Amino acid sequence: MKQFQRSQQFKIWSLAFAALAAPALALANADVAKLTQNAKNWAMQAGNFANQRYSTLKQINRDNVKDLKVAWTFSTGVLRGHEGGPLVIGETLYIHSPFPNKVFAIDLGTQKILWKYEPKQDPTVIPVMCCDTVNRGLAYAEGKIFLQQADTHLVALDAKTGKEIWKVKNGDPKKGETNTNTPHVFKDKVITGISGGEFGVRGFVAAYDIHTGKQLWKAFSTGPDNEMLVDAAKTMTWSDGKLTPVGANSSLKTWQGDQWKIGGGTTWGWYSYDPELNLMYYGSGNPSTWNPAQRPGDNKWSMTIFARDVDSGMAKWVYQMTPHDEWDYDGVNEMVLANIKVQGKDTKALVHFDRNGFGYTLDRTNGALLVAEKYDPKVNWATHVDMKSGRPQVVARYSTRTQGPDVNTKGICPAALGTKDQQPSSFDPQTGLFYVPTNHVCMDYEPFKVEYTAGQPFVGATLSMYPAPGSHGGMGNFIAWDAGTGKIVQSKAEKFSVWSGVLTTAGGIACYGTLEGYLKCVDAKDINKELFKFKTPSGIIGNVNTWEYKGKQYVGVLSGIGGWAGIGMAAGLEGDTEGLGAVGGYKELKNYTELGGVLTVFALP
Amino acid sequence: MPATSAWRKTRRLLALAFVLTPLPVPAAAQAPYPTADRVEYVLECMRNNGGRYDYLYKCSCAIDAIAQQLSYDDYVDAAAVARYQGMAGERMGAFRDPPPLQARAARYRALQTDAKKTCDVPR
Repeated sequence: MKQFQRSQQFKIWSLAFAALAAPALALANADVAKLTQNAKNWAMQAGNFANQRYSTLKQINRDNVKDLKVAWTFSTGVLRGHEGGPLVIGETLYIHSPFPNKVFAIDLGTQKILWKYEPKQDPTVIPVMCCDTVNRGLAYAEGKIFLQQADTHLVALDAKTGKEIWKVKNGDPKKGETNTNTPHVFKDKVITGISGGEFGVRGFVAAYDIHTGKQLWKAFSTGPDNEMLVDAAKTMTWSDGKLTPVGANSSLKTWQGDQWKIGGGTTWGWYSYDPELNLMYYGSGNPSTWNPAQRPGDNKWSMTIFARDVDSGMAKWVYQMTPHDEWDYDGVNEMVLANIKVQGKDTKALVHFDRNGFGYTLDRTNGALLVAEKYDPKVNWATHVDMKSGRPQVVARYSTRTQGPDVNTKGICPAALGTKDQQPSSFDPQTGLFYVPTNHVCMDYEPFKVEYTAGQPFVGATLSMYPAPGSHGGMGNFIAWDAGTGKIVQSKAEKFSVWSGVLTTAGGIACYGTLEGYLKCVDAKDINKELFKFKTPSGIIGNVNTWEYKGKQYVGVLSGIGGWAGIGMAAGLEGDTEGLGAVGGYKELKNYTELGGVLTVFALP
Repeated sequence: MPATSAWRKTRRLLALAFVLTPLPVPAAAQAPYPTADRVEYVLECMRNNGGRYDYLYKCSCAIDAIAQQLSYDDYVDAAAVARYQGMAGERMGAFRDPPPLQARAARYRALQTDAKKTCDVPR
């Protein structure tokens, strides 16, 4: 009886609260939050605000995953690399393509296309995309699909019809600014970043109103405090074993002259959001140029984890992982939020697997550094991270700065693409472990002097790469990681780097794709137990997602890395590797297959 | 991401056994090629040759010839390496740069060429 009364009371209170709250704000926040809580949907690229890539669905489990069969496939008709994955909201699946960034809405019942959107984009944007013309997928909120186009236009589409609702320009491709990231909807804002660190752009994140597209705030990674939305007294950072205010001009002090204006620190990764703290988390990329001798100083706040208030954009805390980058170890990889035991203590943690080869665990409420350990034993550019200063202890032999311009520094591990690039890891609350797709590749690196020209590559380094010497000979590992202690629990050797995002589920499985084109599912308790393996039509650099439709669980993954026409084609590479400009243009032959990127969807029979 | 340069003639990486032990093995002793893979090969090969029906036979002949020479796992790996070497961009550098992988891709391409020649497949 008492309980009944209480629950009635609660109902009345919550009704009153709902009535009082401003509808747009409350609903926007509630919409995505509600959709992601229903495991039948896959309503954000990472499945939830915390970037966990975990699903509570368990129809497919460690015992029956071996029986998975192809349920249906869908071809985007576009070549080139396919990153990201589908969104599923109710009875509709939404899928994107690389440039020209097509969007398809597909009826899950019939697999028929409900609508298609194909933006008209200037193809001159292609040569200014450093690393293939990928797109990491769509976002959804309140009946709208958000597309972040390569040419920086951010578009809201009617999820029912595909009609444009609003469209804003987020950057300028003429200056080398492009976009590859997914937009992120946190509360009533759609938040996006910028790419182009190789073209000397100045990184930022910007928040737009989901209903109107109006810009609400914009925060740069480098420059004056007011333009970075950094408060000299209130924005904290880990220093001298404690949290300390960053102080005035924390970025300007760490650059020579005006270099911060072309300083990089781009923001093309996977952001996360903690609704209780009202904080969003993301990382900034490499400083420009790649030649470190040309930009003395710590180059703040490139290579930094940011925690910002979602409403004001103000930075609550920052932590720079790789001061004065000498290797292109972008700090943009996914920020995963998990409540775990760290060194025995319950912690609201932020876990981040950086390109620099260290797995970081921080207290996400305040930015305190708790754990920083190598997640590939071959990492050699730094001996360790000094836990007091938070700085990596760089090994002179592998310092491209110490070795100087025009010296080929050899045997640096990891290579520039990092122990892990953007391909997102997964956190499984059942095992309490992180499942991380990695590169096991080292490099020789030679910086050289470059002049800045707007819209031109601003790289200043040549390098060559090879599998980590003295190891299993493969180029990748799939690992299970304990973020509370900073230890590799298990490591599974892979022939090729693992460039696909991981999915874990309550069925006790961890699934990821490989460059040979396999979708693999392993036992989350013993990742060396490969339970399922299926060869898709191309290499996989997309992320594995799952959803339920009419009582059946599905697993879907995008495959397509370009290069389908490889069979019988000559390897002639003249020109293509010379500069970054041509990088978007995979050797495209006339006689490629019609396949393009393919979404392959699996289910139990 | 950086421009990738040509391999700098480093010879210390010849011990890359895992990726690089692709010598032809009698296929019969290995896992068979799944039907889907053979069909996929034939479809792509037919398309490359204008889609004519006679290439159903010629392209089937080619994939059968390859399957005689390479185990299925080696075929999957070598095909991936050969394809990715044909792609530009920094991140493909790890496929392009090491000489052992270059050699492996070259062997695979030679095998392709032979199979197509034997089976009268021009492209």
